Amino acid sequence: MNTVVPGGETPDAGLEESQAEATVLRMLLGTQLRRLREAAGIPVDKAGYEIRASRSKLSRMETGRVGLKLRDIEDLLTLYGVVDEEQRVNVLALAKRSREPEWWAQYNDILPGWFETYLALESAASVIRSFETQFVPGLLQTEEYARAVTRLGHQTAPEQEIERRVSLRLRRQEVLARRQPPRFWAIVDEAALRRPIGGAAVMREQLRHLVHAARRPGVRLQVVPFARGGHAGASGSFSILRFQERDLPDVVYIEQLTSSVYLDQRSDVEHYLEVVDRLSSEALPPADTISFIEQAASET
Amino acid sequence: MTTDETAQGGSKTGPLPFDTTKPHQARVYDHLLGGKDNYAADRAAAEALLAVYPGAVYTARANRAFLGRVVRYLTAEAGIRQFLDIGTGIPTAGNTHEIAQAIAPESRVVYVDYDPIVLAHARALLDSSDAGATEYIDADLRHTDTILAGAAGVLDFSKPVAVTLLAILHAIPDPDDPYAIVARLLDAVPSGSYLAISHAASDLLDQETMRSFANSWNSRGQQRITWRTREQVARFFTSTDLVEPGLVRVDEWRPTAGPASAGTSNEWGAVGRKR
Repeated sequence: MNTVVPGGETPDAGLEESQAEATVLRMLLGTQLRRLREAAGIPVDKAGYEIRASRSKLSRMETGRVGLKLRDIEDLLTLYGVVDEEQRVNVLALAKRSREPEWWAQYNDILPGWFETYLALESAASVIRSFETQFVPGLLQTEEYARAVTRLGHQTAPEQEIERRVSLRLRRQEVLARRQPPRFWAIVDEAALRRPIGGAAVMREQLRHLVHAARRPGVRLQVVPFARGGHAGASGSFSILRFQERDLPDVVYIEQLTSSVYLDQRSDVEHYLEVVDRLSSEALPPADTISFIEQAASET
Repeated sequence: MTTDETAQGGSKTGPLPFDTTKPHQARVYDHLLGGKDNYAADRAAAEALLAVYPGAVYTARANRAFLGRVVRYLTAEAGIRQFLDIGTGIPTAGNTHEIAQAIAPESRVVYVDYDPIVLAHARALLDSSDAGATEYIDADLRHTDTILAGAAGVLDFSKPVAVTLLAILHAIPDPDDPYAIVARLLDAVPSGSYLAISHAASDLLDQETMRSFANSWNSRGQQRITWRTREQVARFFTSTDLVEPGLVRVDEWRPTAGPASAGTSNEWGAVGRKR
Protein backbone atom coordinates (compact mmCIF):
# COMPACT_ATOMS: atom_id res chain seq x y z
CA MET A 1 0.00 0.00 0.00
CA ASN A 2 2.18 2.85 1.23
CA THR A 3 -0.45 5.22 0.17
CA VAL A 4 -1.62 8.55 1.41
CA VAL A 5 -5.34 8.47 1.73
CA PRO A 6 -7.19 11.75 1.39
CA GLY A 7 -8.78 12.87 4.58
CA GLY A 8 -12.05 14.33 5.72
CA GLU A 9 -11.25 17.88 4.76
CA THR A 10 -10.68 17.03 1.13
CA PRO A 11 -12.91 14.05 0.36
CA ASP A 12 -12.80 14.60 -3.39
CA ALA A 13 -9.03 14.40 -3.81
CA GLY A 14 -6.95 11.68 -5.40
CA LEU A 15 -9.09 8.75 -6.49
CA GLU A 16 -6.23 6.35 -7.03
CA GLU A 17 -4.98 6.89 -3.51
CA SER A 18 -8.05 5.21 -2.10
CA GLN A 19 -6.58 2.02 -3.53
CA ALA A 20 -5.04 1.42 -0.12
CA GLU A 21 -8.45 1.14 1.44
CA ALA A 22 -9.52 -1.27 -1.25
CA THR A 23 -6.49 -3.42 -0.43
CA VAL A 24 -7.35 -3.44 3.23
CA LEU A 25 -10.97 -4.31 2.51
CA ARG A 26 -9.87 -7.11 0.16
CA MET A 27 -7.70 -8.48 2.96
CA LEU A 28 -10.70 -8.52 5.27
CA LEU A 29 -12.91 -10.10 2.65
CA GLY A 30 -10.32 -12.76 1.84
CA THR A 31 -9.93 -13.57 5.53
CA GLN A 32 -13.67 -13.96 5.95
CA LEU A 33 -13.87 -16.26 2.96
CA ARG A 34 -11.00 -18.35 4.26
CA ARG A 35 -12.65 -18.70 7.66
CA LEU A 36 -15.88 -19.80 6.00
CA ARG A 37 -14.02 -22.26 3.78
CA GLU A 38 -12.12 -23.75 6.70
CA ALA A 39 -15.29 -23.96 8.78
CA ALA A 40 -16.86 -25.92 5.94
CA GLY A 41 -13.77 -28.17 5.79
CA ILE A 42 -13.22 -27.56 2.10
CA PRO A 43 -9.67 -27.74 0.74
CA VAL A 44 -8.22 -24.86 -1.28
CA ASP A 45 -8.07 -26.77 -4.56
CA LYS A 46 -11.69 -27.80 -4.37
CA ALA A 47 -12.79 -24.23 -3.73
CA GLY A 48 -10.56 -23.04 -6.57
CA TYR A 49 -12.06 -25.64 -8.91
CA GLU A 50 -15.53 -24.33 -8.15
CA ILE A 51 -14.65 -20.91 -9.55
CA ARG A 52 -12.19 -22.16 -12.20
CA ALA A 53 -9.22 -20.71 -10.31
CA SER A 54 -5.92 -22.37 -9.49
CA ARG A 55 -5.01 -23.26 -5.95
CA SER A 56 -2.48 -20.42 -5.79
CA LYS A 57 -4.96 -17.92 -7.19
CA LEU A 58 -7.49 -18.86 -4.53
CA SER A 59 -4.80 -18.45 -1.87
CA ARG A 60 -3.98 -15.03 -3.23
CA MET A 61 -7.66 -14.11 -3.11
CA GLU A 62 -7.88 -15.23 0.49
CA THR A 63 -4.95 -13.01 1.47
CA GLY A 64 -6.38 -10.04 -0.40
CA ARG A 65 -3.70 -9.85 -3.04
CA VAL A 66 -6.14 -10.18 -5.91
CA GLY A 67 -9.78 -9.23 -6.14
CA LEU A 68 -12.77 -11.49 -6.56
CA LYS A 69 -15.74 -11.30 -8.87
CA LEU A 70 -19.09 -11.02 -7.13
CA ARG A 71 -20.33 -14.04 -9.06
CA ASP A 72 -17.37 -16.09 -7.77
CA ILE A 73 -18.01 -15.00 -4.21
CA GLU A 74 -21.62 -16.07 -4.52
CA ASP A 75 -20.53 -19.48 -5.81
CA LEU A 76 -17.99 -19.86 -3.01
CA LEU A 77 -20.54 -18.93 -0.36
CA THR A 78 -22.89 -21.57 -1.74
CA LEU A 79 -20.09 -24.13 -1.79
CA TYR A 80 -19.26 -23.25 1.82
CA GLY A 81 -22.86 -23.83 2.81
CA VAL A 82 -23.52 -20.19 3.67
CA VAL A 83 -27.25 -19.99 3.05
CA ASP A 84 -28.14 -17.34 5.60
CA GLU A 85 -29.23 -14.41 3.47
CA GLU A 86 -27.97 -11.76 5.90
CA GLN A 87 -24.53 -13.32 6.11
CA ARG A 88 -24.34 -13.52 2.33
CA VAL A 89 -25.39 -9.90 1.97
CA ASN A 90 -22.73 -8.80 4.47
CA VAL A 91 -19.92 -10.59 2.69
CA LEU A 92 -21.10 -9.32 -0.68
CA ALA A 93 -21.40 -5.77 0.64
CA LEU A 94 -17.78 -5.94 1.75
CA ALA A 95 -16.85 -7.25 -1.68
CA LYS A 96 -18.67 -4.40 -3.38
CA ARG A 97 -16.92 -1.87 -1.21
CA SER A 98 -13.55 -3.44 -1.91
CA ARG A 99 -14.29 -3.20 -5.65
CA GLU A 100 -15.32 0.43 -5.53
CA PRO A 101 -12.34 2.51 -4.48
CA GLU A 102 -14.39 5.67 -4.38
CA TRP A 103 -17.04 4.26 -2.09
CA TRP A 104 -16.15 6.79 0.57
CA ALA A 105 -16.96 9.71 -1.70
CA GLN A 106 -20.55 9.60 -0.54
CA TYR A 107 -19.44 10.70 2.94
CA ASN A 108 -19.10 14.30 2.05
CA ASP A 109 -19.75 15.95 5.37
CA ILE A 110 -17.78 14.72 8.37
CA LEU A 111 -17.09 11.07 7.87
CA PRO A 112 -13.90 10.70 5.89
CA GLY A 113 -13.58 7.48 3.96
CA TRP A 114 -10.25 6.63 5.50
CA PHE A 115 -11.88 6.68 8.86
CA GLU A 116 -14.51 4.15 7.83
CA THR A 117 -11.68 1.97 6.59
CA TYR A 118 -9.90 2.42 9.84
CA LEU A 119 -13.02 1.37 11.70
CA ALA A 120 -13.21 -1.76 9.56
CA LEU A 121 -9.58 -2.53 10.28
CA GLU A 122 -9.84 -1.73 13.94
CA SER A 123 -12.78 -4.08 14.33
CA ALA A 124 -10.93 -6.88 12.54
CA ALA A 125 -7.67 -6.48 14.49
CA SER A 126 -6.60 -8.82 17.26
CA VAL A 127 -4.02 -6.42 18.66
CA ILE A 128 -3.96 -2.64 18.36
CA ARG A 129 -0.76 -0.95 19.42
CA SER A 130 -0.67 2.80 19.43
CA PHE A 131 1.63 5.62 20.36
CA GLU A 132 0.22 9.04 21.19
CA THR A 133 2.29 12.15 21.71
CA GLN A 134 -0.31 14.86 22.36
CA PHE A 135 -3.69 13.38 23.19
CA VAL A 136 -5.18 10.56 25.18
CA PRO A 137 -5.82 7.70 22.69
CA GLY A 138 -9.21 8.05 21.00
CA LEU A 139 -10.38 4.66 22.25
CA LEU A 140 -9.91 5.79 25.86
CA GLN A 141 -11.25 9.34 25.68
CA THR A 142 -14.17 10.57 27.77
CA GLU A 143 -16.99 12.33 25.97
CA GLU A 144 -16.01 15.75 27.33
CA TYR A 145 -12.36 15.29 26.47
CA ALA A 146 -13.28 14.10 22.97
CA ARG A 147 -15.48 17.19 22.57
CA ALA A 148 -12.61 19.47 23.59
CA VAL A 149 -10.18 17.74 21.22
CA THR A 150 -12.71 17.96 18.39
CA ARG A 151 -13.23 21.68 18.98
CA LEU A 152 -9.46 22.19 18.75
CA GLY A 153 -9.36 20.63 15.32
CA HIS A 154 -12.55 22.24 14.03
CA GLN A 155 -12.61 25.71 15.52
CA THR A 156 -15.23 27.14 13.22
CA ALA A 157 -17.46 24.09 12.92
CA PRO A 158 -21.10 24.44 13.98
CA GLU A 159 -22.13 22.75 17.20
CA GLN A 160 -24.09 20.07 15.36
CA GLU A 161 -21.03 18.96 13.42
CA ILE A 162 -18.93 18.86 16.59
CA GLU A 163 -21.52 16.58 18.16
CA ARG A 164 -21.50 14.25 15.15
CA ARG A 165 -17.75 13.99 15.35
CA VAL A 166 -17.85 13.29 19.06
CA SER A 167 -20.44 10.58 18.61
CA LEU A 168 -18.29 9.07 15.87
CA ARG A 169 -15.35 8.92 18.27
CA LEU A 170 -17.49 7.30 20.95
CA ARG A 171 -18.80 4.79 18.44
CA ARG A 172 -15.21 3.74 17.81
CA GLN A 173 -14.85 2.81 21.47
CA GLU A 174 -17.47 0.11 21.10
CA VAL A 175 -14.75 -2.13 19.71
CA LEU A 176 -13.31 -2.53 23.22
CA ALA A 177 -16.71 -3.48 24.65
CA ARG A 178 -17.05 -6.42 22.30
CA ARG A 179 -17.31 -9.93 23.68
CA GLN A 180 -13.87 -10.74 22.30
CA PRO A 181 -12.25 -7.33 22.08
CA PRO A 182 -8.87 -6.74 20.47
CA ARG A 183 -5.96 -6.27 22.82
CA PHE A 184 -5.36 -2.54 23.04
CA TRP A 185 -1.78 -1.72 23.97
CA ALA A 186 -1.19 2.01 24.05
CA ILE A 187 1.86 4.06 24.85
CA VAL A 188 1.40 7.74 25.63
CA ASP A 189 3.91 10.48 26.08
CA GLU A 190 3.57 12.20 29.44
CA ALA A 191 2.64 15.36 27.51
CA ALA A 192 -0.70 13.76 26.65
CA LEU A 193 -1.45 13.38 30.36
CA ARG A 194 -0.32 16.87 31.35
CA ARG A 195 -1.93 19.02 28.69
CA PRO A 196 -5.26 19.99 30.28
CA ILE A 197 -7.44 19.65 27.20
CA GLY A 198 -10.86 21.10 28.00
CA GLY A 199 -9.66 22.53 31.32
CA ALA A 200 -8.64 21.00 34.63
CA ALA A 201 -12.00 19.44 35.48
CA VAL A 202 -12.34 17.68 32.12
CA MET A 203 -8.74 16.53 32.29
CA ARG A 204 -9.09 15.18 35.82
CA GLU A 205 -12.12 13.17 34.82
CA GLN A 206 -10.23 11.94 31.76
CA LEU A 207 -7.26 10.82 33.85
CA ARG A 208 -9.52 8.97 36.29
CA HIS A 209 -11.18 7.31 33.34
CA LEU A 210 -7.73 6.27 32.07
CA VAL A 211 -6.86 4.67 35.40
CA HIS A 212 -10.10 2.72 35.24
CA ALA A 213 -9.57 1.78 31.58
CA ALA A 214 -5.97 0.70 32.14
CA ARG A 215 -7.23 -1.90 34.62
CA ARG A 216 -9.49 -3.55 32.10
CA PRO A 217 -8.17 -6.97 31.11
CA GLY A 218 -7.66 -6.30 27.41
CA VAL A 219 -6.14 -2.85 27.84
CA ARG A 220 -2.50 -2.05 28.54
CA LEU A 221 -1.32 1.48 28.99
CA GLN A 222 2.27 2.64 29.32
CA VAL A 223 3.46 6.19 29.81
CA VAL A 224 6.81 7.55 28.68
CA PRO A 225 7.66 10.05 31.43
CA PHE A 226 9.40 13.33 30.67
CA ALA A 227 12.16 12.11 32.95
CA ARG A 228 13.12 9.53 30.31
CA GLY A 229 14.40 12.35 28.10
CA GLY A 230 14.16 11.88 24.35
CA HIS A 231 12.55 8.72 23.11
CA ALA A 232 12.18 6.53 20.07
CA GLY A 233 8.80 7.94 19.09
CA ALA A 234 9.93 11.47 18.39
CA SER A 235 8.40 11.36 14.93
CA GLY A 236 4.81 11.36 16.19
CA SER A 237 1.69 9.33 16.82
CA PHE A 238 0.80 6.14 14.98
CA SER A 239 -1.03 2.84 15.38
CA ILE A 240 -0.14 -0.70 14.35
CA LEU A 241 -2.97 -3.11 13.73
CA ARG A 242 -2.34 -6.81 13.91
CA PHE A 243 -4.65 -9.52 12.67
CA GLN A 244 -5.01 -13.02 14.00
CA GLU A 245 -4.47 -14.60 10.60
CA ARG A 246 -0.91 -15.61 9.99
CA ASP A 247 -0.94 -14.43 6.39
CA LEU A 248 -2.27 -10.95 7.05
CA PRO A 249 0.47 -8.38 7.49
CA ASP A 250 0.43 -5.78 10.23
CA VAL A 251 -0.85 -2.42 9.07
CA VAL A 252 0.56 0.89 10.27
CA TYR A 253 -1.88 3.77 10.38
CA ILE A 254 -0.78 7.37 10.68
CA GLU A 255 -3.34 10.13 10.92
CA GLN A 256 -2.32 13.50 9.62
CA LEU A 257 -4.09 16.83 9.65
CA THR A 258 -6.01 16.33 6.44
CA SER A 259 -5.24 12.76 5.49
CA SER A 260 -4.06 9.41 6.73
CA VAL A 261 -1.42 6.93 5.65
CA TYR A 262 -1.54 3.14 5.69
CA LEU A 263 1.66 1.12 5.45
CA ASP A 264 1.74 -2.62 5.04
CA GLN A 265 5.09 -3.24 3.33
CA ARG A 266 7.13 -5.39 5.65
CA SER A 267 10.13 -3.04 5.65
CA ASP A 268 7.99 0.00 6.54
CA VAL A 269 5.94 -1.82 9.13
CA GLU A 270 9.06 -3.26 10.69
CA HIS A 271 10.46 0.21 11.24
CA TYR A 272 7.35 1.20 13.21
CA LEU A 273 7.31 -2.14 15.01
CA GLU A 274 10.82 -1.50 16.16
CA VAL A 275 9.92 2.01 17.37
CA VAL A 276 6.92 0.75 19.29
CA ASP A 277 8.87 -2.19 20.73
CA ARG A 278 11.59 0.18 21.80
CA LEU A 279 9.04 2.60 23.28
CA SER A 280 7.33 -0.15 25.24
CA SER A 281 10.61 -1.30 26.69
CA GLU A 282 11.57 2.30 27.60
CA ALA A 283 8.17 3.34 28.97
CA LEU A 284 6.95 2.64 32.50
CA PRO A 285 5.57 -0.89 32.80
CA PRO A 286 1.74 -1.10 32.82
CA ALA A 287 1.45 -1.50 36.60
CA ASP A 288 3.64 1.55 37.35
CA THR A 289 1.76 3.53 34.72
CA ILE A 290 -1.48 3.26 36.69
CA SER A 291 0.06 4.86 39.77
CA PHE A 292 1.72 7.47 37.57
CA ILE A 293 -1.65 8.49 36.13
CA GLU A 294 -3.26 8.54 39.58
CA GLN A 295 -0.52 10.93 40.64
CA ALA A 296 -1.01 13.06 37.53
CA ALA A 297 -4.75 13.21 38.25
CA SER A 298 -4.10 14.47 41.76
CA GLU A 299 -1.84 17.17 40.36
CA THR A 300 -4.31 18.33 37.71
CA MET B 1 24.11 -17.94 48.73
CA THR B 2 26.96 -17.08 46.41
CA THR B 3 27.15 -13.76 44.72
CA ASP B 4 26.20 -14.25 41.08
CA GLU B 5 28.84 -11.99 39.71
CA THR B 6 31.64 -14.10 41.17
CA ALA B 7 30.43 -17.04 39.12
CA GLN B 8 30.93 -15.30 35.82
CA GLY B 9 32.94 -17.01 33.18
CA GLY B 10 33.62 -16.12 29.59
CA SER B 11 30.38 -14.54 28.41
CA LYS B 12 28.75 -11.16 28.91
CA THR B 13 25.80 -11.19 31.24
CA GLY B 14 22.94 -8.96 32.28
CA PRO B 15 20.00 -7.58 30.36
CA LEU B 16 20.44 -7.60 26.61
CA PRO B 17 20.63 -4.31 24.76
CA PHE B 18 17.68 -3.45 22.52
CA ASP B 19 19.02 -4.74 19.22
CA THR B 20 16.91 -5.91 16.33
CA THR B 21 19.82 -6.17 13.91
CA LYS B 22 21.10 -9.40 15.45
CA PRO B 23 18.91 -12.47 15.65
CA HIS B 24 17.61 -13.30 19.09
CA GLN B 25 16.61 -16.83 20.06
CA ALA B 26 13.19 -15.75 21.37
CA ARG B 27 12.33 -13.96 18.15
CA VAL B 28 13.71 -16.72 15.93
CA TYR B 29 11.49 -19.12 17.89
CA ASP B 30 8.59 -16.74 17.38
CA HIS B 31 9.16 -16.86 13.63
CA LEU B 32 9.50 -20.66 13.61
CA LEU B 33 6.24 -20.87 15.56
CA GLY B 34 4.47 -18.62 13.05
CA GLY B 35 4.46 -15.42 15.15
CA LYS B 36 4.78 -11.87 13.89
CA ASP B 37 7.02 -10.41 16.58
CA ASN B 38 10.29 -10.86 14.79
CA TYR B 39 12.59 -8.81 12.61
CA ALA B 40 14.41 -9.27 9.32
CA ALA B 41 17.57 -10.51 11.06
CA ASP B 42 15.58 -13.09 13.02
CA ARG B 43 13.85 -14.37 9.90
CA ALA B 44 17.12 -14.54 7.99
CA ALA B 45 18.65 -16.57 10.81
CA ALA B 46 15.62 -18.87 10.90
CA GLU B 47 15.76 -19.42 7.15
CA ALA B 48 19.52 -20.09 7.24
CA LEU B 49 18.91 -22.54 10.05
CA LEU B 50 16.13 -24.30 8.16
CA ALA B 51 18.42 -24.67 5.15
CA VAL B 52 20.81 -26.86 7.17
CA TYR B 53 18.30 -28.24 9.66
CA PRO B 54 14.76 -28.48 8.28
CA GLY B 55 13.61 -30.00 11.58
CA ALA B 56 13.89 -26.62 13.35
CA VAL B 57 10.17 -25.81 13.02
CA TYR B 58 9.23 -29.21 14.40
CA THR B 59 11.69 -28.84 17.27
CA ALA B 60 10.37 -25.36 18.14
CA ARG B 61 6.79 -26.65 18.14
CA ALA B 62 7.76 -29.75 20.10
CA ASN B 63 9.41 -27.57 22.74
CA ARG B 64 6.29 -25.43 23.02
CA ALA B 65 4.09 -28.52 23.26
CA PHE B 66 6.42 -29.96 25.92
CA LEU B 67 5.90 -26.78 27.97
CA GLY B 68 2.15 -27.33 27.75
CA ARG B 69 2.29 -30.97 28.87
CA VAL B 70 4.79 -30.23 31.64
CA VAL B 71 2.78 -27.38 33.15
CA ARG B 72 -0.42 -29.41 32.86
CA TYR B 73 1.25 -32.35 34.60
CA LEU B 74 2.73 -30.16 37.33
CA THR B 75 -0.57 -28.39 38.03
CA ALA B 76 -3.06 -31.21 37.59
CA GLU B 77 -1.05 -34.21 38.83
CA ALA B 78 1.78 -32.89 41.00
CA GLY B 79 -0.36 -30.22 42.67
CA ILE B 80 2.08 -27.38 41.98
CA ARG B 81 0.66 -23.87 42.31
CA GLN B 82 3.83 -21.78 42.00
CA PHE B 83 6.00 -21.47 38.90
CA LEU B 84 9.30 -19.78 38.24
CA ASP B 85 9.45 -19.67 34.44
CA ILE B 86 12.91 -18.54 33.36
CA GLY B 87 13.34 -17.76 29.68
CA THR B 88 9.75 -16.74 29.02
CA GLY B 89 10.06 -16.02 25.33
CA ILE B 90 7.66 -13.96 23.23
CA PRO B 91 4.13 -14.69 24.42
CA THR B 92 2.22 -17.01 22.12
CA ALA B 93 -0.71 -19.36 22.62
CA GLY B 94 -0.58 -21.50 25.78
CA ASN B 95 1.69 -19.56 28.13
CA THR B 96 2.62 -21.08 31.49
CA HIS B 97 0.15 -19.13 33.65
CA GLU B 98 -2.68 -19.66 31.17
CA ILE B 99 -2.25 -23.43 31.30
CA ALA B 100 -1.77 -23.51 35.07
CA GLN B 101 -4.59 -21.08 35.87
CA ALA B 102 -6.99 -22.94 33.56
CA ILE B 103 -6.56 -25.90 35.94
CA ALA B 104 -5.93 -24.01 39.19
CA PRO B 105 -6.85 -20.30 38.95
CA GLU B 106 -4.90 -19.53 42.13
CA SER B 107 -1.60 -20.47 40.44
CA ARG B 108 1.16 -17.89 40.72
CA VAL B 109 3.74 -17.48 37.99
CA VAL B 110 6.92 -15.43 37.89
CA TYR B 111 8.32 -14.92 34.42
CA VAL B 112 11.98 -14.08 33.96
CA ASP B 113 13.71 -12.94 30.81
CA TYR B 114 16.61 -10.70 29.92
CA ASP B 115 15.41 -9.51 26.55
CA PRO B 116 13.73 -6.08 26.69
CA ILE B 117 11.31 -6.93 23.86
CA VAL B 118 10.24 -10.21 25.48
CA LEU B 119 9.64 -8.44 28.79
CA ALA B 120 7.63 -5.61 27.26
CA HIS B 121 5.43 -8.12 25.43
CA ALA B 122 5.04 -10.35 28.46
CA ARG B 123 3.97 -7.45 30.65
CA ALA B 124 1.50 -6.25 28.06
CA LEU B 125 0.05 -9.52 26.87
CA LEU B 126 0.01 -11.90 29.82
CA ASP B 127 -3.05 -11.40 32.01
CA SER B 128 -3.27 -13.22 35.30
CA SER B 129 -6.53 -14.65 36.60
CA ASP B 130 -7.94 -12.61 39.50
CA ALA B 131 -7.32 -15.49 41.90
CA GLY B 132 -3.69 -15.97 40.93
CA ALA B 133 -0.79 -13.69 40.15
CA THR B 134 1.88 -13.07 37.56
CA GLU B 135 5.09 -11.08 37.84
CA TYR B 136 7.85 -10.26 35.39
CA ILE B 137 11.49 -9.99 36.26
CA ASP B 138 14.17 -8.49 34.08
CA ALA B 139 17.18 -10.66 34.81
CA ASP B 140 19.83 -12.85 33.27
CA LEU B 141 19.57 -16.51 34.30
CA ARG B 142 23.12 -16.21 35.64
CA HIS B 143 21.93 -13.66 38.21
CA THR B 144 20.08 -16.06 40.43
CA ASP B 145 20.13 -13.69 43.42
CA THR B 146 18.22 -11.06 41.43
CA ILE B 147 15.76 -13.68 40.22
CA LEU B 148 15.11 -15.20 43.64
CA ALA B 149 14.82 -11.83 45.38
CA GLY B 150 12.38 -10.60 42.74
CA ALA B 151 10.33 -13.80 42.76
CA ALA B 152 9.98 -13.73 46.56
CA GLY B 153 7.36 -10.99 46.22
CA VAL B 154 4.96 -13.39 44.50
CA LEU B 155 6.15 -16.89 45.35
CA ASP B 156 6.25 -18.45 48.80
CA PHE B 157 9.58 -20.28 48.92
CA SER B 158 8.52 -22.32 51.93
CA LYS B 159 6.11 -24.18 49.61
CA PRO B 160 6.95 -26.22 46.50
CA VAL B 161 7.84 -24.27 43.38
CA ALA B 162 8.29 -25.56 39.84
CA VAL B 163 11.38 -24.08 38.21
CA THR B 164 11.03 -24.30 34.45
CA LEU B 165 14.11 -23.79 32.29
CA LEU B 166 12.92 -24.52 28.78
CA ALA B 167 15.31 -24.05 25.88
CA ILE B 168 17.45 -21.65 27.89
CA LEU B 169 20.31 -23.59 29.54
CA HIS B 170 21.92 -24.16 26.15
CA ALA B 171 22.45 -20.37 26.04
CA ILE B 172 24.74 -20.74 29.08
CA PRO B 173 28.25 -21.85 28.08
CA ASP B 174 30.28 -24.14 30.34
CA PRO B 175 32.54 -21.35 31.71
CA ASP B 176 29.40 -19.75 33.23
CA ASP B 177 28.75 -23.02 35.07
CA PRO B 178 25.12 -23.80 34.25
CA TYR B 179 25.18 -26.66 36.81
CA ALA B 180 25.91 -24.22 39.64
CA ILE B 181 23.12 -21.95 38.41
CA VAL B 182 20.56 -24.76 38.52
CA ALA B 183 21.90 -25.87 41.92
CA ARG B 184 21.45 -22.35 43.34
CA LEU B 185 17.87 -22.22 42.09
CA LEU B 186 17.06 -25.64 43.54
CA ASP B 187 18.69 -24.71 46.86
CA ALA B 188 16.13 -21.92 47.20
CA VAL B 189 13.08 -24.17 46.92
CA PRO B 190 11.89 -26.82 49.38
CA SER B 191 11.84 -30.57 48.94
CA GLY B 192 8.90 -31.60 46.76
CA SER B 193 9.60 -28.77 44.31
CA TYR B 194 10.08 -29.57 40.64
CA LEU B 195 12.66 -28.83 37.97
CA ALA B 196 11.72 -28.93 34.27
CA ILE B 197 14.32 -28.58 31.54
CA SER B 198 14.46 -28.81 27.79
CA HIS B 199 17.86 -28.53 26.18
CA ALA B 200 19.36 -28.58 22.68
CA ALA B 201 20.93 -32.01 22.13
CA SER B 202 24.39 -32.64 20.72
CA ASP B 203 23.81 -36.38 20.33
CA LEU B 204 20.54 -36.58 18.39
CA LEU B 205 21.66 -35.21 15.03
CA ASP B 206 24.42 -36.49 12.77
CA GLN B 207 27.78 -34.74 13.10
CA GLU B 208 27.59 -32.89 9.82
CA THR B 209 24.14 -31.41 10.49
CA MET B 210 25.30 -30.46 13.98
CA ARG B 211 28.33 -28.66 12.56
CA SER B 212 26.31 -26.72 9.97
CA PHE B 213 23.66 -25.91 12.60
CA ALA B 214 26.30 -24.61 14.99
CA ASN B 215 28.06 -22.57 12.30
CA SER B 216 24.81 -21.12 11.07
CA TRP B 217 23.58 -20.09 14.49
CA ASN B 218 26.69 -19.18 16.42
CA SER B 219 27.98 -16.89 13.68
CA ARG B 220 24.85 -14.71 13.90
CA GLY B 221 22.88 -14.97 17.09
CA GLN B 222 22.90 -12.76 20.16
CA GLN B 223 23.28 -15.93 22.21
CA ARG B 224 25.68 -18.72 21.33
CA ILE B 225 24.28 -22.19 21.80
CA THR B 226 26.08 -24.90 23.73
CA TRP B 227 24.66 -28.26 22.69
CA ARG B 228 24.87 -30.97 25.36
CA THR B 229 24.60 -34.74 25.42
CA ARG B 230 21.85 -36.66 27.17
CA GLU B 231 24.29 -37.47 29.96
CA GLN B 232 25.28 -33.82 30.38
CA VAL B 233 21.62 -32.80 30.54
CA ALA B 234 20.95 -35.56 33.09
CA ARG B 235 23.51 -33.96 35.43
CA PHE B 236 21.18 -30.97 35.92
CA PHE B 237 18.77 -33.31 37.68
CA THR B 238 21.30 -34.63 40.22
CA SER B 239 19.34 -33.74 43.35
CA THR B 240 15.98 -34.81 41.95
CA ASP B 241 14.03 -37.97 41.15
CA LEU B 242 12.96 -37.98 37.52
CA VAL B 243 9.26 -38.24 36.80
CA GLU B 244 8.28 -40.96 34.32
CA PRO B 245 9.36 -41.43 31.54
CA GLY B 246 12.66 -39.86 32.63
CA LEU B 247 14.97 -37.95 30.35
CA VAL B 248 13.77 -38.33 26.76
CA ARG B 249 13.32 -36.33 23.59
CA VAL B 250 10.81 -33.60 24.43
CA ASP B 251 8.26 -35.05 22.02
CA GLU B 252 8.49 -38.42 23.78
CA TRP B 253 7.74 -36.97 27.20
CA ARG B 254 4.18 -38.05 28.08
CA PRO B 255 2.88 -37.47 24.55
CA THR B 256 -0.84 -36.93 24.26
CA ALA B 257 -2.80 -39.54 22.36
CA GLY B 258 -3.15 -38.76 18.69
CA PRO B 259 -1.60 -39.42 15.34
CA ALA B 260 2.08 -40.37 15.39
CA SER B 261 4.28 -37.28 15.39
CA ALA B 262 5.57 -36.03 12.08
CA GLY B 263 9.17 -35.48 13.09
CA THR B 264 11.91 -35.88 15.63
CA SER B 265 12.83 -33.07 17.97
CA ASN B 266 16.41 -32.19 18.72
CA GLU B 267 15.91 -31.40 22.40
CA TRP B 268 16.21 -33.45 25.53
CA GLY B 269 13.57 -32.88 28.17
CA ALA B 270 12.71 -34.08 31.66
CA VAL B 271 10.94 -33.20 34.88
CA GLY B 272 12.49 -34.00 38.24
CA ARG B 273 11.13 -33.78 41.78
CA LYS B 274 13.51 -32.36 44.36
CA ARG B 275 14.41 -34.87 47.05
